[in-house]
Amino acid sequence: MITVNALGDACPLPVVKTLNAIKGLRSPDTVETLVDNPTAVENLRRLALSKGWSFSSEKRGEAEYRVLLGAEAGAESSGEAPACYAPPVRKRTVVAVTADHMGEGDPKLGRTLLKGFLFALGQQEELPAAILFYNGGAFLTCEGSESLEDLKALEGRGVEILSCGTCLNFYGLSEKLRVGGVTNMYSIVEKLAGADLVLRP
Amino acid sequence: MRPRRPTLFFSFAATAAAMEAERLCRAAGQPGRLVPVPRQITAGCGLAWMASPEDGEALRAFFKAEGLEYEGCHLIEF
Repeated sequence: MITVNALGDACPLPVVKTLNAIKGLRSPDTVETLVDNPTAVENLRRLALSKGWSFSSEKRGEAEYRVLLGAEAGAESSGEAPACYAPPVRKRTVVAVTADHMGEGDPKLGRTLLKGFLFALGQQEELPAAILFYNGGAFLTCEGSESLEDLKALEGRGVEILSCGTCLNFYGLSEKLRVGGVTNMYSIVEKLAGADLVLRP
Repeated sequence: MRPRRPTLFFSFAATAAAMEAERLCRAAGQPGRLVPVPRQITAGCGLAWMASPEDGEALRAFFKAEGLEYEGCHLIEF
């Protein structure tokens, strides 16, 4: 295995250095490239994809990624300068909690599942932009909800927590909201329509 | 990356048992909470009682006293 140190190198250097290392191979081998940013990882992934080589990557530290390419010997350069790609744009995900339970069936199980869903949501690396609570979902942000701590933690990490005002009023919960803000239907429509992805547990 | 720390998970063979554990623990003020089983643990029904390692002893005793059978007790970085 050959190691290419491309830590601190800006695009397209990690790809250029990796290609040069592969050019020097006499037989198929694994090339390990160390880079310090996810864009470089993505560029190497695209290189591997275009050449039909195997690819794997591993995050080893705050700014260290290890990429492994299973390369064929003496790969020819296509002559073109390797392109630089911007990292994939983050999706704007909105979660719509429309009931106090998850899925249809036993309501008690459904409440347990929804609680688990909100807990697991907080364990994700990429968090949604907002969580909307309407109809029975409004119970989740109010006094007595077992998800308040999880939702407060999500809010603390920048996730917008919004409950439908009409729903809070209907269920007599207006004074019992314990996390996040109150919203209206215009804003709910806007958030749902503006999302790249809507998750409805 | 969120910080990880050693955490105890009691897994259960049946979902109903996990939910019963939650009910009993709540009623008795036992520490911990019911969560989806982390991916590192493949055992059980998919729900687990999560607690601090230092509460493990007391919880084991509590489950035993209540006649509640858990499937496994796992200490993992979570």
